[in-house]
Order: sequence, then C-alpha cells, then structure tokens
Amino acid sequence: MLIPHPLLGLRDAQEFTYLGDASLLNRPDGMAEGAAEAFYDYVYLRDNPAGVHRELWFHEQGDRSWLVVTRNTVTHEILGAELARDVALAAKGGAQ
Amino acid sequence: MTDLAPITALGGSLARVQSFGALAIAENADLALASLALRRGAAQPVPMGLSLPGPGLWHAGNGIAAFWTGPGQWMIEAPGRATEDFAAVVKQAAPECSVTEQTDAFTAFEIASTAGAGPILALMAKLVNIDAAAFGPGSATRTGLEHMSVFVIRRAEDRLAVIGMRSAAGSIWHALETAAARLQGD
Repeated sequence: MLIPHPLLGLRDAQEFTYLGDASLLNRPDGMAEGAAEAFYDYVYLRDNPAGVHRELWFHEQGDRSWLVVTRNTVTHEILGAELARDVALAAKGGAQ
Repeated sequence: MTDLAPITALGGSLARVQSFGALAIAENADLALASLALRRGAAQPVPMGLSLPGPGLWHAGNGIAAFWTGPGQWMIEAPGRATEDFAAVVKQAAPECSVTEQTDAFTAFEIASTAGAGPILALMAKLVNIDAAAFGPGSATRTGLEHMSVFVIRRAEDRLAVIGMRSAAGSIWHALETAAARLQGD
C-alpha cells in the first residue's frame, strides 16, 4: 500500500504507523458544559464505517509528520492525504 | 592522566573501508552534524551562505551541506569537522533557530561506485523501499532499512550516503556489507 505524502510523494505504508479516526483532531473543550459526556464520546465511541474513512497516520520512518489519510476501508483504495496540521489549522479558521 | 584512545562508531581506531567490486563502502567518522529547526513564525535562515533545501532534497555549498528532515527542520553536515563544536557554529549563523548537536548521535557511511549509477541503483533496490530511479542526485530522505531508521542521501550519480543511529553502526554496516557482497556475486 502506498500513501501519497503531500510533501514527499508516494511512500510505502510500512514507513507509517496508524492511530485511528481523524475525528481525534476535534478534541472537546474540557471546560464547556457537558464536557464529561463529550469526552466519553471522544475517547470511547468510534464510527466504524465500511467505505470512505478519514484516518490519522504518522510518518514515523520518514519526516515524522501526521497525516489525515482518506481511505476506503472496503477496497483499501487511498483517496488522498493531507498534513494533519493543515487540517487542524483550517478547522480553527487558519489561525496559528 | 588516563590515556584515552578515540575509536570510531564501528569500534576501530581508523574508519572502516571495504570494496565490493564496483562499490566501496566507507565509514565517515569525520562528518559533523547539527539539526536546525525553525521556531513558530520564524523566517527561514541562510546559515553560512547555504540556502536550505525543500522537502526530500539535499544541497551542498560553502564547504557544508544540508538536507530536509521534516517541515521546518534540516540537518546541517560539515565534512571533516566532527571534532569541532559545529552546533555552536551553526547556532551563531542562525541565532533565531533551535540548533542541536547531532554528530555523536549518528554515524555516516559513504558508498561510492566506480561504474556509474548502475551499482548504486542496484544497491538501493536491495536496501530501501524508495523509488531509486526517481531518487536522483540532490535527493535525501529518511526511510527504513532493515527496521532501522536511516537518512539516505544521493550525493551524486555515483555516490550514496546512509546516515543512521550511531548505536546501530554495526547493524547498518552488516546490512550494507551483505547487500553489496551479494550484488558482487551476481
């Protein structure tokens, strides 16, 4: 399996380690109302889709960047990869 | 005072060199290394007049060289300066950046071919899962080699460098030696 690293091009999936659902980037606010419930959901409850899934991969034997890889869990087709940093910054409105 | 004798990463008093047909592998005990990382929002420096390369690249100039190791991070190489405090020199040249001494953390092996690019490409094909044909002179990347993390640099058509963990110097040498010897046997 090859992962299209946004900076380095196609790289062997063996160079990466897998973390899980990219929704882990959206950590709930611990000080907000209902934080306990939100953290219960964040830590324990995962969607397990058969089909397109966004996942966090770490380029461990590479440039040590975190990627958000879009993958079809049924066909193992890789549909794209972005730097997780860019995804997280975009979600925060591009602020540093 | 105790009489201390310096040894190389492979434990010899002299750097190890061995030939395998067209390929020669040499331990490079004199290479000074320092990592350089940008701090948040900082501009990219030009340390000692060397422009820092982009992702996947290596660039030499002014007696030193640099390769990209990650977003906003580079390794600076200085041939023949392993006994100096090279990190201090880099820090002076790029005071806004985070600079860390790496000379004693890594060990470098220089592979030279006397028959052009062919043997280098054949060796890469045996050792690393990188597209060797697309890995032309001036390319550098980190990858896995027999479960060890190494930097691979294509210094020229007929020259390749492998830089890995100093504590694994013997294992890296074994991997390179075995692959080169088998190529020779082909």
